[in-house]
Amino acid sequence: MEYYSSNLIEEYLRTRKIPSTACSGCGLGMNHKVVIQAFKELGLKTADIIWGTSIGCAGRQTFATFKGDGFAGTHGRAYAIARGLRIALPPEKKIVLSVGDGDAFGIGLMHLIHSARVNADITVIVHDNLGYQSTGGQFGFTTPMGVKTDSSPYGMFEPNLMSEGMDVMHILKGAGATFLARHVVLADGAMAVESVKKAILNRGFSLVHMPHPCVTNFAMKHLGSRVPVEIFRWFKERTAPLGQEKPNTIWATGIWHDASNTRPEFSEVMWGATEKIRRTGAL
Amino acid sequence: MKRFLETGNFAIAEAAIIAGCRFFAGYPITPATELAESMSLRLPQVDGVYLQAEDECAAMHLCIGAALGGMKAMTATSGPGFILYADPFGWALGCEMPMVVLNSGRVGPVSGITGAPGQGEFYNTRYPTQGGNYESVVLAPNSAQEAMAMVIEAFYLSERLRMPVTVLADQLITDGWEDISIPETEEEMKEMGMRFWPRKFHPGPDFYPATDALDIPPVQMGKNTGGLCSDWTPTEQGYDIEEVEDHHKHAYRLIYKVRNNRELFAHHYEKKYMDDDPDLVVVSYGTPSRVVNTAVGRARSQGMKVGSLRLINLWPFPDEHFTRKAKYLAVELNWDGQLVREIQRAVPKDSDVHFLGICGDLPTNQDLLETFDKILKNQPLQRKGWEMEAW
Amino acid sequence: MKDRIELVASGFGGQGVVRLGQILGEAGVKQGLRVTMLKSHGTEMRGGYVRSQVVLAKKVVDSPICESPDYLIALSSAAYNRFKHTVADNGLIIYDPDFVEEVDNTLTCSQKALPAKKLAMDNFGKPLFSNSVVLGAIAKLLEEEGAVNKEVLLESLLAIIPKFKEENKQAFELGYKSI
Repeated sequence: MEYYSSNLIEEYLRTRKIPSTACSGCGLGMNHKVVIQAFKELGLKTADIIWGTSIGCAGRQTFATFKGDGFAGTHGRAYAIARGLRIALPPEKKIVLSVGDGDAFGIGLMHLIHSARVNADITVIVHDNLGYQSTGGQFGFTTPMGVKTDSSPYGMFEPNLMSEGMDVMHILKGAGATFLARHVVLADGAMAVESVKKAILNRGFSLVHMPHPCVTNFAMKHLGSRVPVEIFRWFKERTAPLGQEKPNTIWATGIWHDASNTRPEFSEVMWGATEKIRRTGAL
Repeated sequence: MKRFLETGNFAIAEAAIIAGCRFFAGYPITPATELAESMSLRLPQVDGVYLQAEDECAAMHLCIGAALGGMKAMTATSGPGFILYADPFGWALGCEMPMVVLNSGRVGPVSGITGAPGQGEFYNTRYPTQGGNYESVVLAPNSAQEAMAMVIEAFYLSERLRMPVTVLADQLITDGWEDISIPETEEEMKEMGMRFWPRKFHPGPDFYPATDALDIPPVQMGKNTGGLCSDWTPTEQGYDIEEVEDHHKHAYRLIYKVRNNRELFAHHYEKKYMDDDPDLVVVSYGTPSRVVNTAVGRARSQGMKVGSLRLINLWPFPDEHFTRKAKYLAVELNWDGQLVREIQRAVPKDSDVHFLGICGDLPTNQDLLETFDKILKNQPLQRKGWEMEAW
Repeated sequence: MKDRIELVASGFGGQGVVRLGQILGEAGVKQGLRVTMLKSHGTEMRGGYVRSQVVLAKKVVDSPICESPDYLIALSSAAYNRFKHTVADNGLIIYDPDFVEEVDNTLTCSQKALPAKKLAMDNFGKPLFSNSVVLGAIAKLLEEEGAVNKEVLLESLLAIIPKFKEENKQAFELGYKSI
């Protein structure tokens, strides 16, 4: 991962995993740095944050990168673990989940939706590498139409969460998420940091979707090239700020939904009810 | 001491609360639904939280989260939900997270019969997840009162062994009503043999030492210990490492912390008429054992030299009870024979092992007495409908 | 009383058979007895067959199953036909003739008709109270056995069904007198 700023490393990261085990040219490093930069700009200490990850490139490569407490859940289940943890932790502790697209939008989508439903104070960072890359490159639920992967050798044609005008953000907004943003770091990195900060400051369910290039599998299979600049260009051409979408835009970036601190937070609701029932016997 | 008529589910909820459980995640399923209901009523009264999960897989993951934050947690289900625990169960075993899981058996496979007892998860509770390289601790009570005691014991063992512990009940225990005594003072609890162990704090950094030692507190999130836990092979500090040597150390701990500390729970069994080396040992667990105990008593009065061995600690399987060469009969609430296989493995070579299976109901005294008689007379067990099958 | 008394109550779903077992069991506990009560049902839906098996004993109950009940309360013909042969030779079947139309005269146990539904309809205009009639009859029998006092059973009934106390009490007395 690309860490030029050594003070970020010293303050927040475990040198054992930095530089990371991610492939050279992987966009995950840029995304990771955005998140850590947001911690720094918010003045958070390692003790303030619990770092959760899961399975796949995003989970495995970012597990134990953060200096504080960290867990990795089984595939897709970090959202259920985080919800239980939210009940047990003091409200001032932040839970930040660093996960992938297969984890969040595939196997874990139900747990994710239920975390949004209850507005649990969790910040989910989805490092979307457009499919299952750690298993060699199969399509996922955000793989753009027509893209060739090892399991879509004729090009992606099965409808998914980002096809036919569908966007996974609509689902999450409908489910009750209170902060939603999307950023492609190579196009709008500075705004990505701002969104991650807003996501963390929202006392409720936040998700920042950050699609990023996979050089080794995705680019090689679809573009026939491992030269990072090729996939970077392919990404940028398909990215546009929300409201300025072009016909070929796949990722409309910016803040999708900001209802920060408008809904009661999950653990507050639960403990509030418990406290009232214990005192008065009723709600 | 409070004494009243209540369901096993209700008694188990009270037991969990006595044991310090303040987090329960459930998903409605007969015959464990009323346990979730009881917890939803009782937990807020004692400063706890009840969550209804989106499925059983989430339920146990929610418990993992709460346990990671330092709470004593529990979930409960029946067979069709127990299989959805497979995923979190592996995590909880691997990351050594204490919690209690209750499985109330009904008739399977799949949904089967919801309102009738079954014992189809004898092996399933031994292997609740994939991959092997771990031991499981399973306690099987035979009444609501004992279910209460065993849930408290499961919390105790889960803390000391740092792992999820399963209580295997059945529909008759959880849904059945029984006169139940609930202790109210510490003295009464002690008299009833209840043991307690608080959640303790691990300051780190070596959360996963390669040792079979007891009483190592689990990793906890939110205390800034730098604690790590993951689904991968851990180093002693919890970093993910996929090296066989490290995995061997990890697996050693998962297996031998249980095997080498069996004295903690090996006393959980019941023997009746076993002092005179009976010709036939009838082995059972759970509610069928209640009929077995009666039938064995009656058989004795009819001059049959029969004894009853009731297993409460099912796993690790207590081989020490099967060292004597004799005739053995397994009585189980299934038609395929599960406990009987383990008995066959444990007994001395050439022992005579038989199986009586019934499902959805308890065997009758008459069934049992006829079977004892035939085995003692070396007569073949007649196939009688589906109830009796020579093994 | 003898060491162990088995009572089976069975009928349709929604008749209150489980509640009946619960009230009887609760009375047993109040009386200092050891008690088990199993409910079983074929389906989760109303209208299916439902059975309560109550065991009252002096010592800890071993098997909670009523293999040869001393009493069978049959509130449907299906229940009657299903369990009539299990009743002990010196046992008793109490059936509601409104539901059990054909009585098997070949049985070795005793049988008594208890028109609980009719009594409830005639006196209160509602079948709802037929359960209390049945409980009153059971009270009479268990009192004769020296197992459970009438007052204790009535107290349990009124504690578990707090609504319509007066009607339930009257229905209970009707049942007590009618057996």
